[in-house]
Amino acid sequence: MFEHDDDIVERMIRQLRRPVSLDPGLAARVMGEIAAPAHPGIGRTWPWLAAAAAVLGAVVIAHPWTRGSGTSTAAFQFVLVAPQAASVSLVGDFNDWDPARSPMRTAQGVWATVVPLAPGRYRYAFLVNGVEWRADPGAPAAKDDEFDTPSSVVTVGGRGS
Amino acid sequence: MGIDRVETGDAELVRRVRAGDIGAYGALVARYRDRLGRYAVHMIGDREDAEEALQDSFVRAYRSLERCYDPARFGAWLYGILVNRCRTTGARAARRRRLFVHDAEALNDASHPDAMERLEWTDAVERALARLAPEYREVFLLKHVEELEYEQIAQLTGDGISALKMRVKRAREQLQKFLREAEHV
Amino acid sequence: MIVAALLLAVQVIAQNPRLERLDPDTRSAVTIVVDSARGAGLPVEPLIQRALEGTSKGAAGARIVAAVRRLAADLGAARVALGTGASTPELEAGVAALRAGATPQVIAHLRDVRRPPLTIALSVLADLVASGVPADSAATAVLALAPKARDADLVEFRRAVEHDIALGAPPGAATSVRVNAGADFANSPSSPGTVPRPRRP
Repeated sequence: MFEHDDDIVERMIRQLRRPVSLDPGLAARVMGEIAAPAHPGIGRTWPWLAAAAAVLGAVVIAHPWTRGSGTSTAAFQFVLVAPQAASVSLVGDFNDWDPARSPMRTAQGVWATVVPLAPGRYRYAFLVNGVEWRADPGAPAAKDDEFDTPSSVVTVGGRGS
Repeated sequence: MGIDRVETGDAELVRRVRAGDIGAYGALVARYRDRLGRYAVHMIGDREDAEEALQDSFVRAYRSLERCYDPARFGAWLYGILVNRCRTTGARAARRRRLFVHDAEALNDASHPDAMERLEWTDAVERALARLAPEYREVFLLKHVEELEYEQIAQLTGDGISALKMRVKRAREQLQKFLREAEHV
Repeated sequence: MIVAALLLAVQVIAQNPRLERLDPDTRSAVTIVVDSARGAGLPVEPLIQRALEGTSKGAAGARIVAAVRRLAADLGAARVALGTGASTPELEAGVAALRAGATPQVIAHLRDVRRPPLTIALSVLADLVASGVPADSAATAVLALAPKARDADLVEFRRAVEHDIALGAPPGAATSVRVNAGADFANSPSSPGTVPRPRRP
């Protein structure tokens, strides 16, 4: 096939610009490394929960993923006990199933995060160590999990859009 | 009727991270992961090493965020961290550069003759890239694949713009040669 | 031809930027469903989330497309059952209830006895079925409570039933015991705390 020299390099460039598949757990690992507490196990068992509650106002205002403008959100806390895990992310309909968006903090193997939710019904799961999908043992199961992994459901009442 | 989230600029996200909102850093990671990942994979030539470099770079950027003096250009600053990190990996991975195929369509369809041709092309591209000297490959990728401006690249690499342009020109010449050679095998 | 394809790609991405995470073939197929749903006045956010869920979980493109198509169809069915005034959360909960086995008649009855939004009532029905309660028992229970119970009461009811089932009660029996205790709802104390604690699913 005859091709102008420049064109073959251009074709190569187009090929190189294509998206590259990356391990989806990478972002969760980044956030897990960042969120790892500097001084684990100080004094009271849940010091970071108080900190989370304290920044809650900022969280509600700051996160751009709440559905609809002007809809009120309620704070929901998600917890997973996983002492062996290196990182846990909360992933669901409220954050585009993106492990980077809601990394969880841990104290003594108990992972938690607080997320503001607008009214709606949300499927979600925990992504452990960037590879293992786990349902929330304390929540209703999502029965129509069409992708062979366990998921849970949280429903938020109130007026939706 | 679908409600899309409001896009928040880098400067605002950096501001929030500095104010203590870790989740905002997650949004930055999501925003830059694919682009930076693409550079790392092509530069290093090994997906695992590239992912490790990418992860390290994101963590390092978070921990040295106070040194991002122009938050509106967080992306370029992040590229700088990644380019440096890839240089250290590059030396290690030089010997075991692995072939990988990231053209998912071709992979799914490998029995089809066109797909085989596509696989061979992808292979030829990666091999040609691997044959470039690292300093040529680096600038070529930043300019033509990541589409950074020469001014930005100059800031990242510390080189002069005319030197960079010369390297890109040489890189193109060599790549033409390598690709032609691959065609005639 | 390349220019046209590029322009189309740009348009697709501009309209649904988050679908960039999907590979091109899947993205086109999903976009067709999304656009069609949008044209029919159905909410597209649930469809986009379902596609993103599939891609995050590494599902094959064909499977993602099938899931999104099924959800679009079910959202349509939910809207028929709930009426055109139903909000997106209600429609999502309606889908869950229908998939759990609630009949359109049950949903129509629910609309008759309870003021909107019906999100929680429909969700509780679906969640009860997910715990093992037979669909008709769940429907009976929710319909019995629907006229008087607040949303928070219905959630409390669901938790109590799940608790009983976890302790070994047969699911059908667990619901009827709890329904009969429903008279207490009117007198539930509300917690007086000043700072609202984060809720749990």
